Amino acid sequence: MIHKNVARGKLAGRLSRTIGWLGLTLLVTVALFPVLWALLNSLKELMDIVSPTPRFLFRPTLDNYRQVLHTPEVLSGLYNSILVVGVAVGLGALLGVPAAYAIARYLFRRRDDVQFFVLSLRFLPPVAVAIPLMAIWIDLGVYDTRFSLIVTYLLTTLSTIIWLSIPAFQRVPREIEEAATIDGYGPYAVFWRIALPIASKTLLGGVVFSFVLVWNELMMALTLTSQQAATLPVIAATFTSMGQEVPWGVVNASTVLLALPPLVFLGLLSQLLNSMLKHR
Amino acid sequence: MNKHHGSSLPYVFLLPPLLILAVLALVPTVGAIYLALRDRMLQYADSHFVWFENFSRLAADRRFLNAIKVSAQWEAVTVLGTLVVGVLLAVWLFEKTSPRTRNLLSVLLIIPVLLPRVSAAFLWKFMFSPLLGIVSWLLGFVGLGNVAFLSDPALALLAVAFVDVWQWGLFFAVIVLKLLETLPPEPLEAARIDYARSWEVYALVALPMLRAPLVSLALIKMIESLRSFDLIYVMTKGGPGIATETLDMYAYSQGIGLSGDISYASAMAVLMMVLTTALFTIIWKRAKKWQE
Repeated sequence: MIHKNVARGKLAGRLSRTIGWLGLTLLVTVALFPVLWALLNSLKELMDIVSPTPRFLFRPTLDNYRQVLHTPEVLSGLYNSILVVGVAVGLGALLGVPAAYAIARYLFRRRDDVQFFVLSLRFLPPVAVAIPLMAIWIDLGVYDTRFSLIVTYLLTTLSTIIWLSIPAFQRVPREIEEAATIDGYGPYAVFWRIALPIASKTLLGGVVFSFVLVWNELMMALTLTSQQAATLPVIAATFTSMGQEVPWGVVNASTVLLALPPLVFLGLLSQLLNSMLKHR
Repeated sequence: MNKHHGSSLPYVFLLPPLLILAVLALVPTVGAIYLALRDRMLQYADSHFVWFENFSRLAADRRFLNAIKVSAQWEAVTVLGTLVVGVLLAVWLFEKTSPRTRNLLSVLLIIPVLLPRVSAAFLWKFMFSPLLGIVSWLLGFVGLGNVAFLSDPALALLAVAFVDVWQWGLFFAVIVLKLLETLPPEPLEAARIDYARSWEVYALVALPMLRAPLVSLALIKMIESLRSFDLIYVMTKGGPGIATETLDMYAYSQGIGLSGDISYASAMAVLMMVLTTALFTIIWKRAKKWQE
Protein backbone atom coordinates (compact mmCIF):
# COMPACT_ATOMS: atom_id res chain seq x y z
CA MET A 1 0.00 0.00 0.00
CA ILE A 2 2.66 2.44 1.11
CA HIS A 3 4.93 1.48 -1.77
CA LYS A 4 2.14 2.00 -4.21
CA ASN A 5 1.44 5.48 -2.89
CA VAL A 6 5.08 6.47 -3.03
CA ALA A 7 5.29 5.22 -6.59
CA ARG A 8 2.14 7.10 -7.47
CA GLY A 9 3.49 10.24 -5.82
CA LYS A 10 6.70 9.97 -7.81
CA LEU A 11 4.77 9.49 -11.00
CA ALA A 12 2.54 12.47 -10.24
CA GLY A 13 5.61 14.56 -9.44
CA ARG A 14 7.25 13.64 -12.70
CA LEU A 15 4.03 14.26 -14.59
CA SER A 16 3.54 17.71 -13.10
CA ARG A 17 7.18 18.57 -13.77
CA THR A 18 6.76 17.50 -17.40
CA ILE A 19 3.59 19.57 -17.71
CA GLY A 20 5.46 22.49 -16.16
CA TRP A 21 8.25 22.21 -18.73
CA LEU A 22 5.76 21.91 -21.54
CA GLY A 23 4.02 25.04 -20.26
CA LEU A 24 7.27 26.95 -20.06
CA THR A 25 8.26 25.88 -23.56
CA LEU A 26 4.88 26.94 -24.87
CA LEU A 27 5.19 30.31 -23.12
CA VAL A 28 8.63 31.02 -24.56
CA THR A 29 7.43 29.92 -27.99
CA VAL A 30 4.45 32.29 -27.88
CA ALA A 31 6.73 35.10 -26.73
CA LEU A 32 9.52 34.62 -29.24
CA PHE A 33 8.16 32.71 -32.21
CA PRO A 34 6.73 35.77 -34.03
CA VAL A 35 10.09 37.50 -33.87
CA LEU A 36 12.00 34.44 -35.06
CA TRP A 37 9.44 33.85 -37.78
CA ALA A 38 9.93 37.37 -39.13
CA LEU A 39 13.68 36.81 -39.00
CA LEU A 40 13.33 33.52 -40.92
CA ASN A 41 11.01 35.10 -43.47
CA SER A 42 13.47 37.92 -44.01
CA LEU A 43 16.01 35.29 -45.09
CA LYS A 44 13.66 33.56 -47.54
CA GLU A 45 13.06 34.04 -51.21
CA LEU A 46 9.57 35.23 -52.09
CA MET A 47 8.62 31.77 -53.33
CA ASP A 48 9.34 30.26 -49.91
CA ILE A 49 7.39 32.95 -48.05
CA VAL A 50 4.14 32.77 -49.98
CA SER A 51 3.88 28.99 -49.91
CA PRO A 52 0.56 27.93 -48.33
CA THR A 53 2.34 25.50 -45.97
CA PRO A 54 4.90 27.35 -43.89
CA ARG A 55 8.45 26.38 -44.80
CA PHE A 56 10.90 25.91 -41.98
CA LEU A 57 13.64 24.51 -44.19
CA PHE A 58 14.80 26.60 -47.11
CA ARG A 59 17.92 27.95 -48.70
CA PRO A 60 18.65 31.20 -46.84
CA THR A 61 19.48 34.33 -48.79
CA LEU A 62 20.55 37.83 -47.84
CA ASP A 63 18.91 39.30 -50.95
CA ASN A 64 16.13 40.96 -48.98
CA TYR A 65 18.60 42.82 -46.81
CA ARG A 66 20.66 43.76 -49.83
CA GLN A 67 17.51 45.11 -51.46
CA VAL A 68 16.42 46.98 -48.31
CA LEU A 69 19.78 48.65 -47.98
CA HIS A 70 19.62 49.72 -51.61
CA THR A 71 16.21 51.34 -51.23
CA PRO A 72 16.79 55.11 -51.01
CA GLU A 73 13.72 55.63 -48.76
CA VAL A 74 14.99 53.11 -46.23
CA LEU A 75 18.46 54.62 -46.19
CA SER A 76 17.17 58.15 -45.71
CA GLY A 77 14.72 56.88 -43.07
CA LEU A 78 17.54 55.17 -41.24
CA TYR A 79 19.66 58.32 -41.43
CA ASN A 80 16.77 60.49 -40.20
CA SER A 81 15.94 58.11 -37.36
CA ILE A 82 19.53 58.00 -36.13
CA LEU A 83 19.95 61.76 -36.34
CA VAL A 84 16.58 62.83 -34.95
CA VAL A 85 16.46 60.25 -32.17
CA GLY A 86 20.12 60.75 -31.33
CA VAL A 87 19.87 64.51 -30.95
CA ALA A 88 16.53 64.41 -29.10
CA VAL A 89 17.86 61.84 -26.63
CA GLY A 90 21.20 63.65 -26.25
CA LEU A 91 19.52 66.96 -25.49
CA GLY A 92 17.02 65.21 -23.23
CA ALA A 93 19.84 63.66 -21.20
CA LEU A 94 21.88 66.86 -21.08
CA LEU A 95 18.96 68.85 -19.69
CA GLY A 96 17.01 66.12 -17.95
CA VAL A 97 19.62 64.41 -15.78
CA PRO A 98 20.70 67.60 -13.92
CA ALA A 99 17.03 68.60 -13.56
CA ALA A 100 16.25 65.25 -11.97
CA TYR A 101 19.13 65.73 -9.55
CA ALA A 102 17.87 69.17 -8.54
CA ILE A 103 14.36 67.77 -8.01
CA ALA A 104 15.65 64.80 -6.01
CA ARG A 105 17.97 66.79 -3.75
CA TYR A 106 16.71 70.37 -3.54
CA LEU A 107 13.01 70.52 -4.22
CA PHE A 108 11.70 68.95 -1.04
CA ARG A 109 8.36 70.64 -0.84
CA ARG A 110 7.46 70.98 -4.47
CA ARG A 111 8.76 67.61 -5.57
CA ASP A 112 5.31 66.08 -5.87
CA ASP A 113 4.02 68.96 -7.98
CA VAL A 114 6.96 68.87 -10.35
CA GLN A 115 6.74 65.10 -10.64
CA PHE A 116 3.03 65.36 -11.36
CA PHE A 117 3.68 67.98 -14.04
CA VAL A 118 6.44 65.96 -15.71
CA LEU A 119 4.42 62.77 -15.62
CA SER A 120 1.28 64.49 -16.88
CA LEU A 121 3.14 65.30 -20.10
CA ARG A 122 3.30 61.58 -20.83
CA PHE A 123 -0.48 61.60 -20.64
CA LEU A 124 -1.11 64.05 -23.45
CA PRO A 125 -2.71 62.06 -26.28
CA PRO A 126 -0.09 62.00 -29.09
CA VAL A 127 -2.72 62.89 -31.65
CA ALA A 128 -3.66 65.97 -29.61
CA VAL A 129 -0.04 67.12 -29.73
CA ALA A 130 0.62 66.16 -33.34
CA ILE A 131 -2.33 67.88 -35.02
CA PRO A 132 -1.82 71.44 -33.71
CA LEU A 133 1.96 71.09 -34.04
CA MET A 134 1.49 70.14 -37.67
CA ALA A 135 -0.38 73.41 -38.33
CA ILE A 136 2.20 75.38 -36.37
CA TRP A 137 5.18 73.81 -38.16
CA ILE A 138 3.49 74.46 -41.52
CA ASP A 139 2.87 78.12 -40.65
CA LEU A 140 6.44 78.54 -39.47
CA GLY A 141 7.75 76.91 -42.63
CA VAL A 142 9.59 74.11 -40.81
CA TYR A 143 7.13 71.28 -41.52
CA ASP A 144 8.82 68.01 -42.57
CA THR A 145 12.22 69.00 -41.20
CA ARG A 146 14.40 67.06 -38.82
CA PHE A 147 14.57 70.17 -36.65
CA SER A 148 10.83 70.25 -35.95
CA LEU A 149 10.73 66.53 -35.23
CA ILE A 150 13.65 66.83 -32.79
CA VAL A 151 11.86 69.63 -30.93
CA THR A 152 8.68 67.53 -30.80
CA TYR A 153 10.51 64.45 -29.52
CA LEU A 154 12.30 66.52 -26.88
CA LEU A 155 8.97 66.62 -25.03
CA THR A 156 9.05 62.82 -24.72
CA THR A 157 12.75 62.31 -24.07
CA LEU A 158 13.12 65.13 -21.57
CA SER A 159 10.09 64.19 -19.47
CA THR A 160 10.91 60.46 -19.53
CA ILE A 161 14.53 61.00 -18.56
CA ILE A 162 13.61 63.34 -15.68
CA TRP A 163 10.93 60.94 -14.48
CA LEU A 164 13.26 57.89 -14.47
CA SER A 165 16.31 59.73 -13.12
CA ILE A 166 14.71 61.18 -9.96
CA PRO A 167 14.61 57.79 -8.14
CA ALA A 168 18.16 57.03 -9.33
CA PHE A 169 19.44 60.14 -7.53
CA GLN A 170 17.24 59.57 -4.49
CA ARG A 171 18.98 56.24 -4.03
CA VAL A 172 22.44 57.81 -3.81
CA PRO A 173 23.27 57.68 -0.09
CA ARG A 174 22.99 61.17 1.33
CA GLU A 175 25.90 60.55 3.72
CA ILE A 176 28.35 60.21 0.86
CA GLU A 177 27.31 63.58 -0.53
CA GLU A 178 27.50 65.15 2.91
CA ALA A 179 30.96 63.74 3.47
CA ALA A 180 32.07 65.23 0.16
CA THR A 181 30.65 68.59 1.19
CA ILE A 182 32.65 68.48 4.41
CA ASP A 183 35.72 67.69 2.31
CA GLY A 184 35.17 71.01 0.59
CA TYR A 185 33.26 69.98 -2.56
CA GLY A 186 30.88 72.63 -3.89
CA PRO A 187 27.34 71.65 -4.92
CA TYR A 188 28.27 71.29 -8.60
CA ALA A 189 31.29 69.14 -7.76
CA VAL A 190 29.10 66.95 -5.56
CA PHE A 191 26.73 66.42 -8.49
CA TRP A 192 29.43 65.87 -11.08
CA ARG A 193 31.98 63.81 -9.14
CA ILE A 194 29.83 61.98 -6.57
CA ALA A 195 26.12 61.66 -7.44
CA LEU A 196 26.48 61.23 -11.20
CA PRO A 197 29.02 58.36 -11.10
CA ILE A 198 27.11 56.52 -8.36
CA ALA A 199 23.75 56.79 -10.15
CA SER A 200 25.20 56.33 -13.64
CA LYS A 201 24.01 52.78 -14.28
CA THR A 202 20.34 53.51 -13.63
CA LEU A 203 20.64 56.85 -15.42
CA LEU A 204 21.99 55.13 -18.51
CA GLY A 205 19.06 52.72 -18.39
CA GLY A 206 16.61 55.63 -18.31
CA VAL A 207 18.29 57.34 -21.25
CA VAL A 208 18.23 54.11 -23.24
CA PHE A 209 14.55 53.65 -22.39
CA SER A 210 13.74 57.09 -23.77
CA PHE A 211 15.75 56.18 -26.88
CA VAL A 212 13.60 53.08 -27.39
CA LEU A 213 10.40 55.13 -26.94
CA VAL A 214 11.19 57.63 -29.69
CA TRP A 215 12.96 55.13 -31.93
CA ASN A 216 9.72 53.10 -31.98
CA GLU A 217 7.44 56.14 -32.36
CA LEU A 218 5.16 56.29 -35.39
CA MET A 219 2.22 58.66 -34.83
CA MET A 220 4.13 61.97 -34.51
CA ALA A 221 6.61 61.09 -37.23
CA LEU A 222 3.80 60.13 -39.59
CA THR A 223 1.98 63.39 -38.93
CA LEU A 224 4.91 65.77 -38.85
CA THR A 225 6.95 64.49 -41.78
CA SER A 226 6.17 63.55 -45.35
CA GLN A 227 9.43 62.78 -47.22
CA GLN A 228 12.41 64.84 -46.18
CA ALA A 229 12.41 63.94 -42.50
CA ALA A 230 10.47 60.65 -42.52
CA THR A 231 11.89 58.21 -39.98
CA LEU A 232 12.32 54.46 -40.33
CA PRO A 233 9.00 53.54 -38.64
CA VAL A 234 7.18 55.75 -41.16
CA ILE A 235 8.93 54.03 -44.07
CA ALA A 236 8.27 50.58 -42.59
CA ALA A 237 4.60 51.47 -41.99
CA THR A 238 4.13 52.55 -45.61
CA PHE A 239 5.78 49.31 -46.75
CA THR A 240 3.60 47.17 -44.52
CA SER A 241 0.33 48.68 -45.70
CA MET A 242 1.04 48.44 -49.40
CA GLY A 243 -1.55 46.93 -51.68
CA GLN A 244 -1.12 44.10 -54.17
CA GLU A 245 2.41 43.22 -55.16
CA VAL A 246 3.93 43.17 -51.70
CA PRO A 247 7.62 42.31 -51.59
CA TRP A 248 7.14 40.28 -48.41
CA GLY A 249 10.79 39.46 -47.94
CA VAL A 250 11.77 43.11 -48.10
CA VAL A 251 9.04 44.11 -45.67
CA ASN A 252 10.16 41.39 -43.24
CA ALA A 253 13.74 42.55 -43.57
CA SER A 254 12.85 46.19 -42.89
CA THR A 255 10.77 45.34 -39.81
CA VAL A 256 13.67 43.25 -38.50
CA LEU A 257 16.06 46.12 -39.20
CA LEU A 258 13.74 48.50 -37.34
CA ALA A 259 13.48 46.16 -34.35
CA LEU A 260 17.20 45.59 -34.04
CA PRO A 261 18.37 48.69 -32.08
CA PRO A 262 15.87 48.29 -29.21
CA LEU A 263 16.78 44.61 -28.88
CA VAL A 264 20.47 45.47 -28.67
CA PHE A 265 19.72 47.22 -25.39
CA LEU A 266 17.82 44.24 -23.95
CA GLY A 267 20.35 43.57 -21.19
CA LEU A 268 20.59 47.19 -20.11
CA LEU A 269 16.83 47.62 -19.95
CA SER A 270 16.25 44.49 -17.90
CA GLN A 271 18.86 45.84 -15.48
CA LEU A 272 16.97 49.12 -15.28
CA LEU A 273 13.82 47.16 -14.51
CA ASN A 274 15.62 45.25 -11.75
CA SER A 275 17.05 48.37 -10.16
CA MET A 276 13.68 50.14 -10.24
CA LEU A 277 11.81 47.29 -8.57
CA LYS A 278 14.38 46.24 -6.01
CA HIS A 279 14.44 49.30 -3.79
CA ARG A 280 10.74 49.87 -3.54
CA MET B 1 22.00 69.24 1.70
CA ASN B 2 20.97 72.13 3.86
CA LYS B 3 24.51 73.50 3.70
CA HIS B 4 23.93 74.46 0.10
CA HIS B 5 20.74 76.28 0.66
CA GLY B 6 21.93 79.44 -1.03
CA SER B 7 23.34 77.54 -4.01
CA SER B 8 22.46 78.48 -7.55
CA LEU B 9 22.36 74.82 -8.60
CA PRO B 10 18.60 74.23 -8.48
CA TYR B 11 17.93 77.31 -10.61
CA VAL B 12 20.62 76.51 -13.17
CA PHE B 13 19.58 72.85 -13.37
CA LEU B 14 15.81 73.31 -13.28
CA LEU B 15 14.84 76.49 -15.08
CA PRO B 16 15.90 75.62 -18.66
CA PRO B 17 14.35 72.12 -18.82
CA LEU B 18 11.14 73.05 -17.01
CA LEU B 19 10.76 76.12 -19.21
CA ILE B 20 11.27 74.04 -22.35
CA LEU B 21 8.76 71.44 -21.14
CA ALA B 22 6.22 74.09 -20.23
CA VAL B 23 6.50 75.72 -23.68
CA LEU B 24 6.45 72.36 -25.47
CA ALA B 25 3.31 71.34 -23.58
CA LEU B 26 1.58 74.70 -23.71
CA VAL B 27 2.05 75.42 -27.41
CA PRO B 28 0.17 72.38 -28.73
CA THR B 29 -2.49 72.70 -26.02
CA VAL B 30 -3.24 76.33 -26.82
CA GLY B 31 -2.83 75.57 -30.51
CA ALA B 32 -5.39 72.78 -30.35
CA ILE B 33 -7.94 74.99 -28.57
CA TYR B 34 -7.36 77.86 -31.02
CA LEU B 35 -7.68 75.59 -34.06
CA ALA B 36 -10.77 73.91 -32.64
CA LEU B 37 -12.57 77.26 -32.57
CA ARG B 38 -11.77 78.03 -36.21
CA ASP B 39 -12.42 76.46 -39.60
CA ARG B 40 -8.85 75.76 -40.68
CA MET B 41 -8.34 73.32 -43.51
CA LEU B 42 -4.90 71.81 -43.92
CA GLN B 43 -4.27 73.19 -47.40
CA TYR B 44 -5.49 76.77 -46.81
CA ALA B 45 -3.86 79.27 -44.50
CA ASP B 46 -6.86 81.60 -44.10
CA SER B 47 -9.51 80.63 -41.59
CA HIS B 48 -12.16 82.24 -39.39
CA PHE B 49 -13.56 81.86 -35.95
CA VAL B 50 -16.57 79.57 -35.95
CA TRP B 51 -16.54 79.21 -32.15
CA PHE B 52 -18.25 76.02 -31.07
CA GLU B 53 -19.45 74.81 -34.43
CA ASN B 54 -16.86 72.02 -34.57
CA PHE B 55 -17.98 70.74 -31.19
CA SER B 56 -21.66 70.73 -32.11
CA ARG B 57 -20.74 68.89 -35.30
CA LEU B 58 -18.97 66.31 -33.16
CA ALA B 59 -22.01 65.80 -30.97
CA ALA B 60 -24.02 64.80 -34.03
CA ASP B 61 -21.29 62.70 -35.64
CA ARG B 62 -22.12 59.02 -35.44
CA ARG B 63 -18.65 58.01 -36.53
CA PHE B 64 -17.28 59.99 -33.58
CA LEU B 65 -19.65 58.23 -31.19
CA ASN B 66 -18.54 54.93 -32.69
CA ALA B 67 -14.90 55.94 -32.09
CA ILE B 68 -15.68 56.61 -28.43
CA LYS B 69 -17.26 53.18 -28.17
CA VAL B 70 -14.32 51.47 -29.90
CA SER B 71 -11.83 53.33 -27.70
CA ALA B 72 -13.69 52.28 -24.55
CA GLN B 73 -13.78 48.65 -25.73
CA TRP B 74 -10.10 48.83 -26.62
CA GLU B 75 -9.20 50.21 -23.18
CA ALA B 76 -11.28 47.58 -21.39
CA VAL B 77 -9.94 44.61 -23.35
CA THR B 78 -6.28 45.61 -23.37
CA VAL B 79 -6.02 46.85 -19.78
CA LEU B 80 -7.89 43.89 -18.31
CA GLY B 81 -6.16 41.44 -20.65
CA THR B 82 -2.71 42.74 -19.75
CA LEU B 83 -3.36 42.68 -16.01
CA VAL B 84 -4.95 39.23 -16.00
CA VAL B 85 -2.24 37.68 -18.17
CA GLY B 86 0.46 39.47 -16.20
CA VAL B 87 -0.77 38.40 -12.77
CA LEU B 88 -1.70 34.80 -13.64
CA LEU B 89 1.53 34.18 -15.50
CA ALA B 90 3.62 35.75 -12.74
CA VAL B 91 1.97 33.67 -10.01
CA TRP B 92 2.41 30.51 -12.06
CA LEU B 93 6.09 31.24 -12.73
CA PHE B 94 6.66 32.18 -9.09
CA GLU B 95 5.22 28.84 -7.98
CA LYS B 96 6.86 26.61 -10.54
CA THR B 97 10.29 27.95 -11.40
CA SER B 98 13.64 28.42 -9.72
CA PRO B 99 15.10 31.94 -9.42
CA ARG B 100 17.68 31.03 -12.09
CA THR B 101 15.05 30.06 -14.64
CA ARG B 102 13.09 33.18 -13.75
CA ASN B 103 16.01 35.47 -14.51
CA LEU B 104 16.44 33.97 -17.95
CA LEU B 105 12.68 34.05 -18.58
CA SER B 106 12.36 37.67 -17.56
CA VAL B 107 14.93 38.70 -20.15
CA LEU B 108 13.12 36.69 -22.85
CA LEU B 109 9.63 37.89 -21.94
CA ILE B 110 10.43 41.59 -22.28
CA ILE B 111 11.46 41.17 -25.90
CA PRO B 112 7.93 41.65 -27.30
CA VAL B 113 7.38 44.99 -25.52
CA LEU B 114 10.68 46.37 -26.81
CA LEU B 115 9.74 45.68 -30.41
CA PRO B 116 8.64 48.76 -32.30
CA ARG B 117 4.86 48.69 -32.61
CA VAL B 118 5.26 48.83 -36.37
CA SER B 119 7.33 45.64 -36.33
CA ALA B 120 5.05 43.86 -33.86
CA ALA B 121 1.97 44.90 -35.83
CA PHE B 122 3.41 43.76 -39.12
CA LEU B 123 4.64 40.38 -37.97
CA TRP B 124 1.28 39.51 -36.45
CA LYS B 125 -0.60 40.92 -39.42
CA PHE B 126 1.43 38.56 -41.57
CA MET B 127 0.85 35.62 -39.24
CA PHE B 128 -2.89 36.36 -39.09
CA SER B 129 -3.26 36.56 -42.85
CA PRO B 130 -5.81 33.94 -43.98
CA LEU B 131 -3.86 32.71 -47.01
CA LEU B 132 -0.19 33.02 -46.06
CA GLY B 133 -0.39 33.14 -42.29
CA ILE B 134 0.90 30.48 -39.98
CA VAL B 135 -2.02 31.00 -37.57
CA SER B 136 -4.51 29.87 -40.20
CA TRP B 137 -2.27 26.93 -41.03
CA LEU B 138 -2.15 25.90 -37.36
CA LEU B 139 -5.89 26.36 -36.94
CA GLY B 140 -6.35 24.15 -39.97
CA PHE B 141 -5.31 21.18 -37.84
CA VAL B 142 -8.32 21.68 -35.60
CA GLY B 143 -10.60 22.29 -38.55
CA LEU B 144 -10.72 26.08 -38.33
CA GLY B 145 -8.76 27.09 -41.41
CA ASN B 146 -8.78 30.47 -43.17
CA VAL B 147 -10.21 32.69 -40.48
CA ALA B 148 -9.85 36.27 -41.71
CA PHE B 149 -9.07 37.76 -38.32
CA LEU B 150 -8.33 41.27 -39.48
CA SER B 151 -11.08 41.67 -42.04
CA ASP B 152 -13.89 40.30 -39.89
CA PRO B 153 -15.60 43.19 -38.06
CA ALA B 154 -16.40 40.92 -35.12
CA LEU B 155 -12.81 39.71 -34.70
CA ALA B 156 -10.58 42.56 -35.85
CA LEU B 157 -10.49 44.54 -32.59
CA LEU B 158 -9.86 41.40 -30.56
CA ALA B 159 -7.08 40.32 -32.94
CA VAL B 160 -5.32 43.69 -32.61
CA ALA B 161 -5.88 43.68 -28.84
CA PHE B 162 -4.31 40.22 -28.75
CA VAL B 163 -1.09 41.70 -30.12
CA ASP B 164 -1.18 44.46 -27.51
CA VAL B 165 -1.65 41.93 -24.72
CA TRP B 166 1.11 39.77 -26.23
CA GLN B 167 3.46 42.74 -25.91
CA TRP B 168 2.34 44.13 -22.55
CA GLY B 169 0.96 41.08 -20.73
CA LEU B 170 4.27 39.23 -20.93
CA PHE B 171 6.11 42.37 -19.81
CA PHE B 172 3.74 42.86 -16.85
CA ALA B 173 4.25 39.21 -15.91
CA VAL B 174 7.96 39.96 -15.52
CA ILE B 175 7.26 43.01 -13.36
CA VAL B 176 4.72 41.24 -11.13
CA LEU B 177 7.12 38.28 -10.81
CA LYS B 178 9.86 40.62 -9.59
CA LEU B 179 7.40 42.26 -7.21
CA LEU B 180 6.43 38.86 -5.79
CA GLU B 181 10.12 38.19 -5.18
CA THR B 182 10.39 41.32 -3.05
CA LEU B 183 7.68 40.15 -0.64
CA PRO B 184 8.81 39.06 2.84
CA PRO B 185 8.55 35.25 3.03
CA GLU B 186 7.10 34.98 6.57
CA PRO B 187 3.46 36.04 5.89
CA LEU B 188 3.38 33.74 2.87
CA GLU B 189 4.65 30.80 4.91
CA ALA B 190 2.02 31.51 7.55
CA ALA B 191 -0.68 31.75 4.90
CA ARG B 192 0.36 28.40 3.43
CA ILE B 193 -0.51 26.83 6.77
CA ASP B 194 -3.85 28.65 7.01
CA TYR B 195 -5.04 28.07 3.48
CA ALA B 196 -5.16 24.74 1.78
CA ARG B 197 -4.98 25.93 -1.79
CA SER B 198 -2.14 27.94 -3.16
CA TRP B 199 -4.38 30.24 -5.21
CA GLU B 200 -5.91 31.38 -1.91
CA VAL B 201 -2.48 32.29 -0.61
CA TYR B 202 -2.00 34.57 -3.60
CA ALA B 203 -5.52 35.96 -3.87
CA LEU B 204 -5.90 36.68 -0.16
CA VAL B 205 -2.36 37.43 1.01
CA ALA B 206 0.33 38.00 -1.62
CA LEU B 207 -1.51 40.15 -4.15
CA PRO B 208 -3.19 42.43 -1.58
CA MET B 209 0.30 43.20 -0.27
CA LEU B 210 1.16 44.37 -3.77
CA ARG B 211 -1.91 46.55 -4.13
CA ALA B 212 -0.01 49.83 -4.52
CA PRO B 213 2.33 48.75 -7.34
CA LEU B 214 -0.50 46.88 -9.07
CA VAL B 215 -2.58 50.07 -9.06
CA SER B 216 0.35 51.93 -10.63
CA LEU B 217 0.69 49.23 -13.26
CA ALA B 218 -2.99 49.48 -14.15
CA LEU B 219 -2.63 53.24 -14.40
CA ILE B 220 0.40 53.01 -16.67
CA LYS B 221 -1.36 50.50 -18.90
CA MET B 222 -4.47 52.70 -19.17
CA ILE B 223 -2.28 55.51 -20.46
CA GLU B 224 -0.27 53.28 -22.77
CA SER B 225 -3.45 51.82 -24.23
CA LEU B 226 -4.44 55.32 -25.30
CA ARG B 227 -1.35 55.43 -27.50
CA SER B 228 -2.06 52.41 -29.64
CA PHE B 229 -2.37 54.31 -32.90
CA ASP B 230 0.68 52.58 -34.42
CA LEU B 231 -0.66 49.09 -33.84
CA ILE B 232 -4.07 49.85 -35.32
CA TYR B 233 -2.65 51.92 -38.16
CA VAL B 234 -0.45 49.10 -39.43
CA MET B 235 -2.84 46.21 -38.76
CA THR B 236 -6.24 47.53 -39.84
CA LYS B 237 -6.12 51.30 -40.49
CA GLY B 238 -9.34 51.44 -38.46
CA GLY B 239 -11.13 48.90 -40.64
CA PRO B 240 -12.89 46.83 -41.70
CA GLY B 241 -15.25 49.78 -42.12
CA ILE B 242 -14.94 51.56 -38.81
CA ALA B 243 -14.77 48.45 -36.64
CA THR B 244 -11.38 49.29 -35.13
CA GLU B 245 -11.47 53.07 -35.49
CA THR B 246 -10.43 54.51 -32.14
CA LEU B 247 -10.53 58.21 -31.28
CA ASP B 248 -6.96 58.91 -32.32
CA MET B 249 -7.40 56.94 -35.55
CA TYR B 250 -10.52 58.95 -36.41
CA ALA B 251 -8.89 62.26 -35.48
CA TYR B 252 -5.91 61.33 -37.64
CA SER B 253 -8.04 60.45 -40.65
CA GLN B 254 -10.10 63.64 -40.31
CA GLY B 255 -7.15 65.95 -39.78
CA ILE B 256 -4.44 64.47 -41.94
CA GLY B 257 -6.12 61.89 -44.13
CA LEU B 258 -8.22 62.75 -47.14
CA SER B 259 -10.33 65.53 -45.68
CA GLY B 260 -7.60 67.62 -44.01
CA ASP B 261 -10.17 69.20 -41.70
CA ILE B 262 -7.59 70.13 -39.13
CA SER B 263 -9.98 72.21 -37.04
CA TYR B 264 -12.47 69.40 -36.70
CA ALA B 265 -9.64 67.04 -35.70
CA SER B 266 -8.44 69.62 -33.19
CA ALA B 267 -11.88 69.79 -31.57
CA MET B 268 -11.60 66.05 -31.08
CA ALA B 269 -8.07 66.46 -29.74
CA VAL B 270 -9.28 69.04 -27.21
CA LEU B 271 -11.99 66.68 -25.97
CA MET B 272 -9.42 63.89 -25.68
CA MET B 273 -7.09 66.16 -23.70
CA VAL B 274 -9.86 67.15 -21.30
CA LEU B 275 -10.88 63.53 -20.88
CA THR B 276 -7.40 62.12 -20.28
CA THR B 277 -6.38 64.98 -17.99
CA ALA B 278 -9.47 64.48 -15.87
CA LEU B 279 -8.97 60.72 -15.80
CA PHE B 280 -5.29 61.07 -15.00
CA THR B 281 -5.84 63.56 -12.18
CA ILE B 282 -8.55 61.48 -10.54
CA ILE B 283 -6.55 58.28 -10.79
CA TRP B 284 -3.33 59.95 -9.60
CA LYS B 285 -5.09 61.19 -6.46
CA ARG B 286 -6.78 57.83 -5.89
CA ALA B 287 -3.54 55.97 -6.50
CA LYS B 288 -1.76 58.14 -3.94
CA LYS B 289 -4.45 57.26 -1.42
CA TRP B 290 -4.35 53.54 -2.22
CA GLN B 291 -0.62 53.52 -1.99
CA GLU B 292 -0.63 54.66 1.61
